[in-house]
Amino acid sequence: MDKNRLDLFRGTLDVLILKSLIWGPLHGYSITDLIRRQSDEVLLVEEGTLYPALWRLETKGFLEAEWGLSENNRKAKFYRLSAKGKRQLRQEMQTWDAYAAAVAKVLSATQPPLPEDAG
Amino acid sequence: MKPNRLWRRYDRLTGPDPAADVNDELRFHLEAKIDDLIAQGWEPQAARQEAERIFGDIRAVQHIGERIGEKRQRRKHLSVYWSDWLQDLRYAVRMLVKSPGFTLVAVLTLALGIGANTTIFSVINAVLLRPLPYTNPGRLVGVAESRPAASVTAAGLSWPVFTELQDHSQVFSAVAGVAGHALTLTGHGEPADVSTVAVTPDFFTVLEIQPLLGRVLLAGDGKRGAAAAVVLSENLWRSRFGADPNIAGSSITLDQRTYTVAGVMPASFHTPFFNQTEQMWIPLVQDPLFSGWTTRPPQVHWMTVIARLRPDVPVRKAQAEMQTVSPALAKQFPEESGWLLGIEPLQQAVVGNVRPQLLLLLGAVALVLLIACANIANLLLTRATSRSKEIALRIALGASKRRIARQLLTESTVLGLLGGAAGIGLACWSVSALALLLTPQLRQTYPIRLDGAVLGFAVVLSMAASLLSGLAPVFYAVRSNPQQNLREGAGAGEARGSQRARSFLAIAEVALAMIILVGAGLLLRSFSRLLAVSPGFETEHVVKAEISLPRFQYARPEQWAAFSNDLMMRLHSRPDLQNSAIAAPLPILDGAITLPFVISGNPPLPQGTANTANYVTASPQYFGVMGISVMRGRLFTEDDNDGAPPVAVISQALAKRYFPNQDPLGRQLVFGFTPQGHVSRQIVGVVADVHDVSLAKNPGPMMYVPFAQAPLWGGEVVVRSRLSTAVVSDAVRTATHAIDKDLPVTKIESFPGALDASVAEPRFRTLLLGIFSGIALLLAAIGIYGVVSFSVSRRTREIGVRMALGASPAGVMRLVIGESAKLLLLGLAVGIAGALVLTRFMATLLFGVAPTDPLTFGVVALLLAFVALAAAYVPARRAMRVDPMVALRCE
Repeated sequence: MDKNRLDLFRGTLDVLILKSLIWGPLHGYSITDLIRRQSDEVLLVEEGTLYPALWRLETKGFLEAEWGLSENNRKAKFYRLSAKGKRQLRQEMQTWDAYAAAVAKVLSATQPPLPEDAG
Repeated sequence: MKPNRLWRRYDRLTGPDPAADVNDELRFHLEAKIDDLIAQGWEPQAARQEAERIFGDIRAVQHIGERIGEKRQRRKHLSVYWSDWLQDLRYAVRMLVKSPGFTLVAVLTLALGIGANTTIFSVINAVLLRPLPYTNPGRLVGVAESRPAASVTAAGLSWPVFTELQDHSQVFSAVAGVAGHALTLTGHGEPADVSTVAVTPDFFTVLEIQPLLGRVLLAGDGKRGAAAAVVLSENLWRSRFGADPNIAGSSITLDQRTYTVAGVMPASFHTPFFNQTEQMWIPLVQDPLFSGWTTRPPQVHWMTVIARLRPDVPVRKAQAEMQTVSPALAKQFPEESGWLLGIEPLQQAVVGNVRPQLLLLLGAVALVLLIACANIANLLLTRATSRSKEIALRIALGASKRRIARQLLTESTVLGLLGGAAGIGLACWSVSALALLLTPQLRQTYPIRLDGAVLGFAVVLSMAASLLSGLAPVFYAVRSNPQQNLREGAGAGEARGSQRARSFLAIAEVALAMIILVGAGLLLRSFSRLLAVSPGFETEHVVKAEISLPRFQYARPEQWAAFSNDLMMRLHSRPDLQNSAIAAPLPILDGAITLPFVISGNPPLPQGTANTANYVTASPQYFGVMGISVMRGRLFTEDDNDGAPPVAVISQALAKRYFPNQDPLGRQLVFGFTPQGHVSRQIVGVVADVHDVSLAKNPGPMMYVPFAQAPLWGGEVVVRSRLSTAVVSDAVRTATHAIDKDLPVTKIESFPGALDASVAEPRFRTLLLGIFSGIALLLAAIGIYGVVSFSVSRRTREIGVRMALGASPAGVMRLVIGESAKLLLLGLAVGIAGALVLTRFMATLLFGVAPTDPLTFGVVALLLAFVALAAAYVPARRAMRVDPMVALRCE
């Protein structure tokens, strides 16, 4: 299990959390669950990083938290995307796409770049 | 998955708890994980261990969570605080708008108090707090000599002492002497007298001032035999020379002599102790008058001296040094013995005696503000009481007392700031009028402005006033019992503590008003005493004008005598100007010339002491024009001229003091004023005493000499006639210009007008304090009215019961008035005690009245009592008319 696991790049976790909340409020445990399943068991979010990230996002106002009852009637803290969080998600997705495209471009290169124009 | 709204209440029940939240959240995570593991077939015990293993260091995460939670909580507090504040503000404004009468009265009261304080403070800020407009002004000092034995406090320096300081002092980096008079500027338009400051070479070095144009006077200009140079003021340069940029190096004519213009000083520059806006500065050695005085004996103290301390010398050390210098000087110049050198910071020296009166006024306006605050506190207290039901309701619904207090304070702060804003407006308007408090010289050196410091003062004052007037109501609103208030509502009797506070406020108002009224009363009495002083001369229908002869053209005393003779003859040739004379100096308007004298035939006085008297040279008609009566012997005649034996007339004070039980007539006095030396004169007459220095000072010994025997370079022409000032001044001018068309005639005034101006300062401060005390009286009356009328309205029911039980209306009246009288008497007692303590500090401002003057105290107490009882009478009458049936039914 550990071998399949990829370390999350810094800042990637935030966008994943935001994205996972796009379908509705979730508590912390189901967020890890959702990310794990959505990435076909590749991305495993550590609890030690998940919760601080959630709290930070809540403090920044991207998430709103509310206490509620879980599926098996336990008291759980549910997070929901705020309007501000939705905007943030859109923006971070664009950044991530641009970043991924750039990395892909470099990695898939077959020849060195052309010399830059001196003039 | 459905968030349950019930849980939101959990948050509210015990208040937010970030640590518990974190703990709950993480525990849920573990439980969920364990559930999943058990579902996958793990043993419960192993499942828990595995879940905890996967989670890792749960404590660290918990710690992070708590920290983030606390931070968020703090931020939330802050935002709640601000939104509460906004809410308070809106509420306060709404409440104030709802009762416009109350708001208007409160704001106006505060505006009066704050406006008065701001205005007085703006003067104090300008004069006492703002530094002098010179470089590094803290290092500048004024040097003066005093002679305790003769109660001479701040005389100038004599020339030898000045040169001694200039050449040998270890504590000064530069010393400069200043003396001023007027020179006649000709060749640029009408001949004009321009006030001229003759300075020693270091003058500009001492003040460290840069010219606007050209250069200042340098050491070379101060040497004897150097070319005559002059520095012009910007005003003079603009008005007389069309702001000619190439003026430096050109020549101008002063007293018929050529001076080269060295430079121009900016308009902002003023010579300390001098007040004219159009000035020029010349080296002392080039001055036609003072250059001759450098050879004068040491007992003539004529130089105003300023100095800059060396950077490493503290003022105290310099003062100590001066004390050691004086005995050494006395050894060198025997005439100096008895004189003491002293220095004081230049600011202090320039401001002089303005300080006590400014502080007096500040004290007075502070009292006015305190009374205003007491009034507002009273009003707010009344409001808080009538709102007690509302407040009780809010407390019952869970508002914290702190929250209520904050809201009430916000209300009084809004009031305070509104009052402050209005007060600043008031100050803007009144500041220019207040400039009259200062002498023209001070007004110039210290322009009064509403600058940042003054505005800051006003804002701080408004806040302080808000707090002061808002605290008592808050205290009682918060302390009162909500249950009781809810039950009884606004109509019931109020808390005893609140009533006590109200009584205390009324007593305080009476006491404060008493103090300020006593101050005003004392000033008023003192001023009327001053006006009642008979100056010893009669000024009705007397006009005066000054003529000054340029000394280069009129170099010799014979010329001065010839001129005055000629002028008098021309004036006397007109039948309506028969009664005219020339003299110098005039009493009260001009400074006195104090000279030492020796009585021939008396044993010589011990070394270092001298008899002194004030000297006047006058033409024969002078005594007639001024209405100074002759007591013994004769007055001067036309025959007492240059060829005749020298004579003198003395005042009664001189006769009494120096010729006790002797006949002064026929005795010889030896004295003389420049350019004469000591001349032995026979006393031919004794005249009545004259207040020659000021109305407030007792007449001192005086000696008069005939103008023809001791002429001056010009003098004051005095004319008694039925003609108007304009006609007289035309006649004097015509006569003068018939002799010399280049002679300016200046300072033409009716004598009573000029005398009146000499008491402008005490009159103005009396007026101001009178206004302030009037405001105080009004506010106190309003305050007492408020207290009594409120207490009557609260006790309507009680009064109704009393009347139903047989109390007569008069009895009710007595009850109400009696209670007010109790407050009044207490207030008066405290006020009198306070006034006795405080009026001591205004002793220097009083003339002919003791600070504890019983008459003033008595009259003021009666006045205050009358006003206070009148204020109480109105509500007392209302109490008398209470209809017992209505009063009982309304409950």
